[in-house]
Amino acid sequence: MTMALIELRDVTKTYKRDAIEIPVLESVTISVPEGDYLGLMGPSGSGKSTLLNLLAGIDRPTGGSIRIGDTEISTLSERALAAWRARHIGFIFQLYNLIPVLTAFENVELPLLLTSLSKKQRREHVMTALNIVSLADRAAHYPRQLSGGQEQRVAIARAIVTDPTLLLADEPTGDLDAKSAGEVLTLLQRLNTEYKKTIVMVTHDPHAAERATHLLHLEKGTLVEQVGA
Amino acid sequence: MKFVGLVFKSARRNLRRTMLTVFSVAIAVFLFAALRAVLDGFHAAAEASSSTRIVTIRSTSMIFSMPSTHAEIVRGLPGVRDVTWASWFGGIYKDPKNFFGQFAIEPESYLRMFPEIVLTPEQKAAFLEDRTGCIVGDGLVKQFGWKLGDKIVLKVGIPIYGREDFPFTIRGIYKAGSNAVDNQTMLFHWKYADERSVRPGEVGWLVSEIANPDQAPQIADAIDRKFENTPYETKTDTEKAFQSSFASMFGNLDLLLGSIAIAVVVTTLFVAGNTMAMSVRERTTEIAVMRTLGYPSHIIFFLIAGEGLLMSLVGGVLGASLARVLVTPSTFGGNSFMPPFGVSGRNVVIGVLLSALIGVAAGLIPATMASRLKIVDALRRAA
Repeated sequence: MTMALIELRDVTKTYKRDAIEIPVLESVTISVPEGDYLGLMGPSGSGKSTLLNLLAGIDRPTGGSIRIGDTEISTLSERALAAWRARHIGFIFQLYNLIPVLTAFENVELPLLLTSLSKKQRREHVMTALNIVSLADRAAHYPRQLSGGQEQRVAIARAIVTDPTLLLADEPTGDLDAKSAGEVLTLLQRLNTEYKKTIVMVTHDPHAAERATHLLHLEKGTLVEQVGA
Repeated sequence: MKFVGLVFKSARRNLRRTMLTVFSVAIAVFLFAALRAVLDGFHAAAEASSSTRIVTIRSTSMIFSMPSTHAEIVRGLPGVRDVTWASWFGGIYKDPKNFFGQFAIEPESYLRMFPEIVLTPEQKAAFLEDRTGCIVGDGLVKQFGWKLGDKIVLKVGIPIYGREDFPFTIRGIYKAGSNAVDNQTMLFHWKYADERSVRPGEVGWLVSEIANPDQAPQIADAIDRKFENTPYETKTDTEKAFQSSFASMFGNLDLLLGSIAIAVVVTTLFVAGNTMAMSVRERTTEIAVMRTLGYPSHIIFFLIAGEGLLMSLVGGVLGASLARVLVTPSTFGGNSFMPPFGVSGRNVVIGVLLSALIGVAAGLIPATMASRLKIVDALRRAA
C-alpha cells in the first residue's frame, strides 16, 4: 500500500467578516497517497481554493490537523512555515503571477535564491526546469514577451525548479485558450507520470479534471462525493 | 548579495517614478550641502580667528566710528603689544553689483598684525610707499582679471568720503594664509580716505594684539573702561566674536538656513515615503507570490527597504557630487557680501548619510507593510 503523503483530519476553516463567522470548510478529512494526481472540483465558494491554500501553508486551519510528509504544518511558526513552503511546495496560480521585471530565467530562479546553491548550480537547475516545460529558448524573455500558455509553463517551471514534494495548482488553465490549456494539462500529467510528482489541482473544467487520477468534490465546505477517475 | 539584483530590478520597474524620486532626493541633498557650506563659510573665519587679537568697536554699533587717538590710548594699556585700525569704505567698482569689501587700513601696523595677509616683500614695500596704492586678494584678481600696476577707480559709496571718485593703483596681490583673512577684499591707506573724510581722524574699529590670550577678557574690559562716559564708548571682544557678529548682521543664519535645510529634507522624506508606499501597493500580488514561494518576512522587508535605500543613496550621491562640483568659492563667493565658501568633503559625506537616512525612514513603513502582508488576502484581492 502506498504511504499517504497528505493527511487532513477534521480540518475546519472559518473566516470572520466583522462580527460574522463564515464557515468555509467543515470537518474535511482527506488522505492523498504519494504520486497521486488529485483533482478538486466544486462550485465557486465551495472551499476548494481554501483547501489548496491550507495545503500550501499560506493559510491556517481554524481546527483539525494537516500533515504533509512528516510535518504537521498547522503548528509551524510563520518563519518555519515559509522555509517549509520553499522546500516542499510548488504553487501554480491561475493568473501565472510571474514577476514582470524579471526574465523567464530569473522568474524560475526566484525560489532557488533561498537555497544555498551556487550561481552555476542555480543556472543548471533553472535550465533543466525550462527544458522540461520546453521553454529553454525563451529564458531571456520577459513575461510581456510570452503568450499566456508560455507564461503558465514558465510558472510551472518555477514551481518545479526546487523539486518540491507537492505541486499545487489553482485553476491552472482557467485563463488559457483550449490549445494552451491542453498543453499545460499534458505537462502536468507528464510531471505526475514521468517525474512522479504528487499534484493537487483545483479546477472547474471537466476536461482538466479528466486528467486527474482521483477527484474530490466539495460543496459548501464539505466533501460530498469521491469519484475515481 | 544574490538579492541585490532583485532590488535593482524592482527599482527599474517604473523608471520615470524612480528617477523623479532620485532627483527629489538629489535636490534635497544638494540644497542641504550648499546651505551647510554657506554656514561653514561664515563660521570658518570665526574659527580661524587669532586668539591674540581683540577688536574694539563703538558700543552702540560697529557702523559708528571713533577717534584714531583711541589707538594710542589703547597701546599704552598693560598687556597690549600692538594696535592698528581699519574703516569700512563701501565704494563702488563700476557697478553696485560688483560688490566686495574695501577697507581703509593703517598699513604698516595692519600688515604687521595680520601675517595671514601674504605678500611678497617687494609688493609690500611698493604698497607702503604709494599713498594711493592698494592691495587686493587673489580671489578678486581672478574675478576681475586685474594685474599688478592696474589702475582702478572706486566711486564713493558712503557720503562722508565726499563725491569725488577714488583712483587706486594695484601694488600688491595677497594670498590668504588662513580663513581669518578673506582673499576677496581690497585694502588701502587709511590716510588716503581720511584726507577727504568730512569726519577726519575717525576710524571704524581698532585691533589690538595682546601678549597673553588668557588675559583677553580683562584687557577688553580695561579698554572699554578707559572710554566709559565719553562720547565714544567702546565694546571690545575677541576677533572670533567680532567675526561672528559680522555674520549675525544677516540675522540668525544658523536657525534660518538650518530650518530651510530641515524643511527640504522632511518634504523629500514624505515624497520618497509616498513613492515607496505606492510602489508596494502596486506590488501586493507579487509580494504575496514571493511569500508563497517561501520568501520569509524579513527578506521581503529588506528587499523593499533596500529599494528605498538604493533610490535615496543614488540621489544622495548625485546631489552631493553636484554640490561639490558646482558650489565652489569661485562660483558663489565673488558677487555678494558673503564669505567664499565651497562644499567640503565632510558635507558631502553628511549629505550622502542624510540620503541614506531618508531612504531608510521612507522605506520603513512600506517595508513593514509588505513583510506583514497576509498572503491569502493579497492573492484574493488580485483574483
